[in-house]
Order: sequence, then structure tokens, then C-alpha cells
Amino acid sequence: MAASISGVFSESLQNAILQCKVLIVGAGGIGCEILKNLVMTGFNDIEIIDLDTIDVSNLNRQFLFHKQHVGKSKAAVAKETALTFNPDVKIVHYHDSITSSDYGLSFFKKFTLVMNALDNRAARNHVNRMCLAADVPLIESGTAGYEGQVELIKKGLSQCYECTPKAAQKTFPGCTIRNTPSEPIHCIVWAKHLFNQLFGEDDPDQDVSPDTADPEAAGKQRVLFQKWDFNVFGVFNEILFFLPDTAAEGALQNESNDKGNVDRVSTRGWAENCDYDAEKLFTKLFHDDIKYLLSMDNLWKKRRPPTPLDWSYLPDGVAGCSKDTMESGLKDQQQWSIAKCGSVFKEAVANLSKALKTCQETSPGDHLVWDKDDQNAMDFVAACANIRAHIFGIPQKTRFDIKSMAGNIIPAIATTNAIIAGVVVLHAFRILEHNLKACRSVYLRLKMNHRNQLLVPEKFVNPPNPKCYVCAPTPQAVLAADTTKMTIKELDETVLKARLNMIAPDVMIDGKGIVVISSEEGETEGNNEKTLEQVGIRDGTVLKVDDFHQNYSLTVTVLQREQPSVKDESPDFLIVADDEDLKPKEDITISEKPSTSNGKVEKVEDDDDIDIVETEISPSTSEADVPKKRKTESPTNNTINKKRKVETNNQHDDDVCIIEDDREVEKVALSVLPAIEEKILTPRKYKSLPDDDCSIVYDGNEDQSTASSPKRSKQLAK
Amino acid sequence: MASPAPKSPEQSEKNRKYDRQLRLWGDHGQASLEGAHVCLINATGLGTEILKSLVLPGIGAFTIVDGKKITDEDIGANFFLDSESISKSRAQVATQMLLELNPDVRGDYVDEGPEQILSNSPDFFNNFAVVVATALPEKAIILLSKKLWELDIPLIICRSLGFVAHIRVQVREHTVIETHPDNENPDLRLDKPFESLKKHMDSINLEEMDLKDHSHLPYSIILYKYLDKWVTEHGDLPKNYKEKQELRESIRSGIRIDEHGIPIDEENFEEAMRAVNTCVSRTTVPSGVMEVLNDDRCINLTAKSSSFWIIAKAIRDFMENEGLGLLPLKGAVPDMTADTEKYIALQQIYHKQAVADAEAVWRRTLQLLRQLGRSSDSISEKDVKLFCRYAGDIHVERGSCIADEYDSKTTNANEIAQSLENPESMMVYYVVLRGVEKFQAEYNSYPGEFDDHVEPDIVKLKSCISKLLGEWGCGPLAKDDYVHEFCRYGGSELHSVSAFLGGLAAQETIKFITNQYKPIHNTFIYDAVTSNSATFAF
Repeated sequence: MAASISGVFSESLQNAILQCKVLIVGAGGIGCEILKNLVMTGFNDIEIIDLDTIDVSNLNRQFLFHKQHVGKSKAAVAKETALTFNPDVKIVHYHDSITSSDYGLSFFKKFTLVMNALDNRAARNHVNRMCLAADVPLIESGTAGYEGQVELIKKGLSQCYECTPKAAQKTFPGCTIRNTPSEPIHCIVWAKHLFNQLFGEDDPDQDVSPDTADPEAAGKQRVLFQKWDFNVFGVFNEILFFLPDTAAEGALQNESNDKGNVDRVSTRGWAENCDYDAEKLFTKLFHDDIKYLLSMDNLWKKRRPPTPLDWSYLPDGVAGCSKDTMESGLKDQQQWSIAKCGSVFKEAVANLSKALKTCQETSPGDHLVWDKDDQNAMDFVAACANIRAHIFGIPQKTRFDIKSMAGNIIPAIATTNAIIAGVVVLHAFRILEHNLKACRSVYLRLKMNHRNQLLVPEKFVNPPNPKCYVCAPTPQAVLAADTTKMTIKELDETVLKARLNMIAPDVMIDGKGIVVISSEEGETEGNNEKTLEQVGIRDGTVLKVDDFHQNYSLTVTVLQREQPSVKDESPDFLIVADDEDLKPKEDITISEKPSTSNGKVEKVEDDDDIDIVETEISPSTSEADVPKKRKTESPTNNTINKKRKVETNNQHDDDVCIIEDDREVEKVALSVLPAIEEKILTPRKYKSLPDDDCSIVYDGNEDQSTASSPKRSKQLAK
Repeated sequence: MASPAPKSPEQSEKNRKYDRQLRLWGDHGQASLEGAHVCLINATGLGTEILKSLVLPGIGAFTIVDGKKITDEDIGANFFLDSESISKSRAQVATQMLLELNPDVRGDYVDEGPEQILSNSPDFFNNFAVVVATALPEKAIILLSKKLWELDIPLIICRSLGFVAHIRVQVREHTVIETHPDNENPDLRLDKPFESLKKHMDSINLEEMDLKDHSHLPYSIILYKYLDKWVTEHGDLPKNYKEKQELRESIRSGIRIDEHGIPIDEENFEEAMRAVNTCVSRTTVPSGVMEVLNDDRCINLTAKSSSFWIIAKAIRDFMENEGLGLLPLKGAVPDMTADTEKYIALQQIYHKQAVADAEAVWRRTLQLLRQLGRSSDSISEKDVKLFCRYAGDIHVERGSCIADEYDSKTTNANEIAQSLENPESMMVYYVVLRGVEKFQAEYNSYPGEFDDHVEPDIVKLKSCISKLLGEWGCGPLAKDDYVHEFCRYGGSELHSVSAFLGGLAAQETIKFITNQYKPIHNTFIYDAVTSNSATFAF
């Protein structure tokens, strides 16, 4: 094996390579390449883990997989193929999620080093914490299209993956999705929710019917639905479904009566009752519900009102797509007329309801899982999103583009993965030689920078952020929330699990010893619906949060913060590592208002002095020597960086992968501005770049993450 | 519904397989890739890595040229070879392995060395889209580069040696329509409105609109109105920051106020103010494009001119006539806050004009084809449209012949000497690599290839390098470190370095084939020890 290396590698490196034990997390685009490089270098004790199975769209780059492997475990096939060429290597594979409790601290401690080849932030955060806890060096890497990066994460020496705040996953307020969409993405999110309502897993947070609780709709309702006003997501315990015959009157006659005239039936139940009749569904969704919305006339005072559609008279023309109309392309890239959308809808509904029936015959209660690569599921979402866009006067998109947005597709090619995986293993050599300081982060650019560099290294290993709420010696964070409104359940799910990526947190009120959230089932469920205040959490309360699985403890200080009055764009809570960070400009929260825009694009700040918002790997001709990514910015660079403000947002439609809160989907966005929240989190004094919708870009293995959805059930029949 | 249920647009297996890359280079890029035939010379570990990254995305066909038999060392560097393949033809085994990666790709091999082929079958290389070579000796490099220069076929020479990777791209002339620029400003022509745009703008009266219309007017119309006013008052566009600021203020003053005298939130006006920077400038033809249009190849077309130059000439003719000195309109309108009717009306105006401009260029293209005695279907209308869409960013890459570097009369000695004065410059790697080539040519082995020869080889390599530096009129190297390093490598190939370079070289190949993105100009060197890299132009 690798005979010729003896002269090139020092003897100690050769021995280290032979003796070390390494873990590859992810067997996708980068993972396959890393595995090959390790095997070729003489590493002979390798473990690889991936939850995912092989999809056709992996074959353009994940070279260890061939057509006959589609549907099989990535980790298993990667190992099998690597062994056919090199039978002497010891490879152990796991077809599993790295976040599972089977892979605890002792698992991570087995390894000399860990290499991430992941595609989602949740799993990256988790491995980051596990490696910090186990004090094992981690090589983090990612690619997106032509760009990529590699960096070392080592406790005490370098920044960890969470040293700079990441943009919160972009979510959309329920009333924007359900009542007043203004951008194509709102319609796409709605269409995906609709899919789940009709064929997938019931999720009360994904209601698609008109939201009468919309605080904008009427003053009376606002009082009545106070709770909803606070947070539209996450409070529905039952599914509202407005029956066509009664719904409109319900709103017209008596706004304040939410029970009397409105029948409640589950969407699924209703659809089943009418046997998934496409015309009935269409009429309900795109005519009756829209008429109902129109009855909430406060919504349309400043907006263009939607136009209900009649199944028998669907317009056949194509107009108003925001993309360059001259672009010709594949069938997939052509704009559908609404009539066409209607027929695609009909066929997709027929096929999907059949598929649902088939899968329920074998196991009742089962459901379909939305998959962007499933023809019918994707057709359904593309058609519904475009019909809804048409109704609301929003530019329609091609199926190709909708697929990008709905599936969070990140372009991925063999070449970039090969380059990045090469650099990952070269980093591994340095770690094995104990030369960690030489592991500077490396960025692969799409184009040369002004110094003619295609591959740009940092000047030094970025030092840790002393205030990081993950890797600081005693991690601290401040939670600013309305303690009179946030419930314990929201604290658990939205703050600790979704935002702080904990798996099984325990929460105790410091000084009082009261456990408010326990990771043991059945211990604290009674607290779920209580507000923070009701369990004794107020302004200034200190919470001790522990996640034993991640070996992670965090002290959280609670600050009382009134729920801002602007409903749409403000986050329900803020969480920062330093309370100073909350002070500078709270007023910024109100920056984007609901508008009747047409194809409005994420807003680019006009102001010169905003902090830099840019994608991790800047596609622009950067002025700075080094793209200072997740780095603590030294003040001297500020002037330079101003020029790098993103203007790229509206250019690469393809790269845009926004998104909503959806477990299935990874949440990176290459060219999406960080949420407003992020701007608040970025104080002047501690210059961390809020760039990171993707501070690590993601590799091609985007489809299903190694850790994403533990409860994946049946795939659609292919 | 009256119409029978049509089939939803079927996504072929192939489209699904290539979905993630179609999002980068489009279906036309994919079609070019699938129509291309590349040649790889020497199926080393590096060579195989390069082809692997071309076979996976679906290159049309490849041919491997390699006269060598598989050795132990190959097995150590090449993932796809196992010990059973020792002493078999390297070209043959590599071809088989690579074909297994993608059934859509065709591949064949010739188990002869490149020099043999060059002398026996001089037409062999004529039909390749790109030729990629690894581990090529000096003599073969010179012969091959001359041949391909003459044939006008891009050549990529790569070398993976120890911790150092080197790539040299040779292309005589390479034209790029889709350069994918970082920043593309919208082509709105507010300063020079075409007739239908002017008519549309003039039909709108801001003052008389009701509030709803006023706040749903696309920002470019607002911008036009205030710009028009500005030009009437000042006689020219706002030229500097101060003047642009004044224009912004004048737009701000147009925002309606409510009954309490407080300005109403009009998003479209805010957008107009923001767009002052990007949209208020004189519409001109970028100087880089002007240079291309004034190129001799554009002005004096021949029967052999490529489509690029013919369309470029058609655009030039268009500019000089109906285009009134401007490029064809792009036709895309950026997203803006507006109501559907107004937005679409505006979009249609730009779209129609862009179609009309592209049609005019198309007619001129046909005319040129006739004049050149070429068939009218040799250029498609689609090509012309694409060109018109990206006309503001076209690029012509002209390179140099690699063989010139090997002749002290034509080599870029000044550049080398100057770079060497900077102790940080990576030019020293180039010099040592050239020394290694010279060493190989003289001693028929890599320096340090045999363990017991390392010390004497250091001396020999130094003398090779001194000779070269002497020829170039440069002083001796400041340090010997690099010489020692390269002798330590003994010509061996590190797989991870080859993997890295393989990806990079394949990417350059794809750039040439798809005519998208600007290629490396023209030498790239990477040191895997320090992670440093540099680009030089010879």
C-alpha cells in the first residue's frame, strides 16, 4: 500500500497514519472522496457513518455509488466499494444518525480525529459539541457549487463551529403563509405544507387554511386570539379547516365567533371524504378559501387582493415570471400556464392519493414523505405554488426553480468535492504531525480574487471566541423573551432544540433547584403549557441548561422583553452570548413590513454602515486578502469589508435555498440575507461577521442529512 | 377541464442524475459536455482522478493515451487499480474502470506513448475538444504543445509531485459568452430610453395617481421620472456621490404624506432611492467588450470564423446602425415592489425590445453567413439570443504556447527574474519543477527516485536549475530548501495532492468545453505543505 509515500512522509507521520483511528461523518460527495483519499494514503482503521440512502441525483459525483446501488445505505455501499479495490483496510460503517445517543462521548473519544462531510447545520453543531467535549480534533468541510472550504476545529485552539452566530433558520409567520403571501417562497412553503396536510404527516404548525387569528385582520379577533397573536406557529392543537359552505359566512357574519359557524374537520379527513377529487380540492383551496380570505377585508386595504380561480376557466397564458423571459431551456425550466398547473395538479393528486392508499393498505396510519426527487410530490408542489402565486399576483416560477427552493438544493459537482476532500486529508496529515497551527482555514473560490488566488488560506488559525456559548470555558447565553407569553414547551422546542441545537436538554432554575424541563419522559410534561413566568422564570432568572448527551452545559440568563408589536418580521425571542449584544439597536427590528410586493427580493441594505452580510465564500471580487469568514474581525478590516456587501442576492436564483423551518430540509442559504435577528446579534464592538447563512457551505450530499430526520418513514413509491 | 390530462413533464433518469450540476452550467452546458471528446495522456493516479471528475458529470467520450504497463507504484497512487492488474496495460485497465463509473460515457484507449503517436499518426489529436496530459517529459510537452497550438485545441498539462501540484493551461484563443460575472447591473436604459420605453414612461403621471397606484409603481419608473427632471435641470446625469445624494433626496420628497403630515411608507420609493447607485449611470458599451468588437478577428471575418466572431460582428453592425451605439438590450427586469399589472407591463416592454434587438442581430448574422458563403443553419437563433443576453460580459482569452517557455529566446525571463526577487514568491516552485524536468530528460529518472541516489541527485538537480537560471539571465536561487524537498519526493505522487489537482484540472477542462467562466491564466502552483497557491501568466 502506498509504497512510494515512504520517502515523502516522515517516519512519525507514517506511523501515525498506520496507528490512528478516524471517523468520517457523512458518506456523500465529500465523504466518498475523503474515504478514497484515506485508503490511498494508508489509513487502515476508518469508521464511516451516514443515515442516508443513495439517490440517483448523487451519482454525478458520489463515485463509490452506481446505479444498482440506488436506495441502499450510503455508508454500507461506500465501504463495500472501497474494499473491493483495497481489501486490506479495516472499515466499519454505520447506517445511522450521528446524533443518536448510541454515539456518545466514549464513541467520539475512540478517534484520533474526526472529519465532517455533512450537509446540515444541526448535525454539524452536534458533532462540533461532541468533538469539543471529547477533545478530539475535527476537520470541518463543505462545498456549494464551485466553492468550498475546510477548517480545523480544536478545543482551545481554534474557533468552534458555533463561535460566530449563525443566522436563524428563516421561518415565515403563519399568517404570511396562510393569508398574505407576497413572495414565491411563501407559496412554495404553503404548497409543501399542503402536501403534508393531504398526504404526509399531520403537523398542526403547517396549517394551510385561512388564519382568522391574523391580528391584522380585525381588532376584535386580536383580543380573542391573543395567544395566536403572540406566535402563530406552534399553538394549534387541532387542525382548523374551514368548510367551503360555511367558512365565508363565518367571517362575514360574526368575526368574534370562532366556534359557531366554523366547522372543524381535519384536512385529511375532508379530502378522504371527497375521495381526493381534484376538482373539489381545487375549488376548496383556490376558490372558496380565497373568497374567505377576501372577506377579511382589513387584510386588503393596503394589499392587492387575491383573485379566486375557477376550475373550469383556468387561464392559458404565461406571464409575469420574474426570471429572464428570454431564457430558453429544458421542459423543466419552462413556465407553466395556470391551465397547465391545473392539469398537473389533477394528475399529481390522483397519483399521490393512490400511493397513499397503497401504503396504508400495508400499514394503516402510514403516510407519504415529501421528496423533491419524487416526480408526483414535486409536481404537486410546483403546481400548487404557481396557482397560489397567480391568485396573489406573485411571479410564478419554473418547476426547476421551485425544486431548488422547495428542496433547498445546493448545486454540487464532482470537481469541487475532489478538491476539498484533498485539502481535508492534507489537513489530517498536519494534525497527525501535531502541527495544528498549520491547519489554517482554506477557501476555494469560484474565481480568482484580486491577488490571483483561487484557493485562499487564512493567515492564521482563527482563535476561539471567548464569549462563544458553546466552547467558552463556562458557556453563557442571554435569552430575551416575553416571559409572560413564552411557554415552557416553546422554550424547550423552539429555543433549546431548534435554535441551540440541543438534543435532550434538562433545565433547572439556578439557586432554587427547580427542574422545569427534564429530558426524562413524563417528569415535566405538566409544565409544557405554562408560561415561563408561571413556573417562576422572570427577568434576571438564571437557568442551568444541560444536555448530557452532548456533554454540554449552558447558563442562560433570562431578560424580559416585550413582544414587539410588528407581527411579521420580528423574532419571538433573541438569544445571544453577551447581553451587551442586545443593546446597540433594538429598533432595527422593524425593518421589513408586509407589502404587496411583486417578486420582491430579500432586501439588501442600502446603508453603508451595516455589517457585512455575505455568503461564506464570497463570489465577489473581494478586496480583502482573505475572506474573513467565521472570524473575529479585526477593526482594521472594516473599511475594506464594507465593499463586500452583498449585492449578489438577486443574481443566482439557483443558489438560493432559503428556508423554512422544516426538519426534513437543511437550512442553509447561500445568498439569502441573514435574518433580522442576526443583525441585532452583531454588535459593533465584537466584529463577528453575521455572514453565515452558511458559514460552512454544504457538500453535495444535501438530500438527506446524516442526522436530519430521525423519523423518516416510508419513501414514496418510486 | 376540457383538455385531456397531459403528461407532467417527465424528468428523465439522466436529468435526475445530473440535476445538481445542471443548476450550475445549465442544459446547454450539459449538452456541450455530452458532445465533447477529451484525450488524457498518461493514466497516472492524477490522470485517472481528472478523468473521474469528467466521467461522473457525463463527458461524451474520452480516449486514454498511455504506453505504460501497471507497476506497484501505480497501484499505490491509483484507487481503481488492484494488485492483480500489475503489468497489464495502464491505458486499458484505467479505461475499463472509468467506464464503470458512468454508463452514459464512451471511452477507448491507445497503448502507445504520445511521442510515438505524434510521429506515427499526426492527425490523431485533430478532433479532441481538450487534451489533458500528466507526467509528461519535457520533449513530449514541447512537441504536443506545438501540435495543439497549431490545431487550436486547448491543452492542460498537470503535474503532481510530492506535496506540489502544478497546472499549465494552453489555449490559443478561447471565447466565452457566459462569464458569470459577480455583479450584473440591470440594463434599464433610464438615461437612454428606447422609443417604446419612453412612450410608456411619458404616459405615466406621478402627481395624478391615487395613493394605491402611487405606492405600487415599479421603482424604475420613479427613478426615470426623477432622473428626467434632474437632467432637465442640470443638463447631465448626477455624476458624483453628492449629486446622487441630491437625486435621492428629490425622490424622497415625492413620497406622499398622510393627513398628519407624516410620510407614508412607500416601499417602491425606498427601492428607487436604493437603486440610484446601480441604475443611474450612463449606458455605454464596456471597454472590454469594445475591445472584442474592435478585434481584427471581429472586423475581418473569414469563411473559417467561429460563430462567436460572426455573432460579435453582427452585434457590431447592429450597434453601428439600429442599436444607436448600444449593445442589444438584455431584457430582464429586476424584481421590484409593484402590482402585477404595472410590473408585467414594464416587463413586456423590455422583453419586446430585447426580442426585437436579438432579432435584428439574428438577421445580421444570417446576412453575414450569406456573405461568407456559409449555410444559414450553422448558427442557431438560440445562440444569437444567448450572446445578446450576455453581450456586456463576453471575454476572449488568448494564451501562449507552452513550447515558448522552453526556448530561452521566447521565454518570459523577465517575469521569472522579477518574481524571484521576492523571497515569498512561489515562482521558485516553477523554477525547481523545470529543473526536475531537465533532470528527467538528462538522467531518465526523477531526482531522488532511488534511495541511494538522493545526495548525488541534489547536486545534479542544482546544476540543472543553475543552467536554466543562466539561460534566463537570473541569479542563483536564494535557498536550497526546495531542491532538497523535491529530491526527497523522489518523483512520487501523493494521492490527496492528485485528488486536489484532479478536481481542479477537470474543472478547467469543463470551462473550456462549456465555454463558461474564464479559465486560469495560465499557470497555477499549489504547495500542500503550506496551503499556499499562486497563479502566473507565461
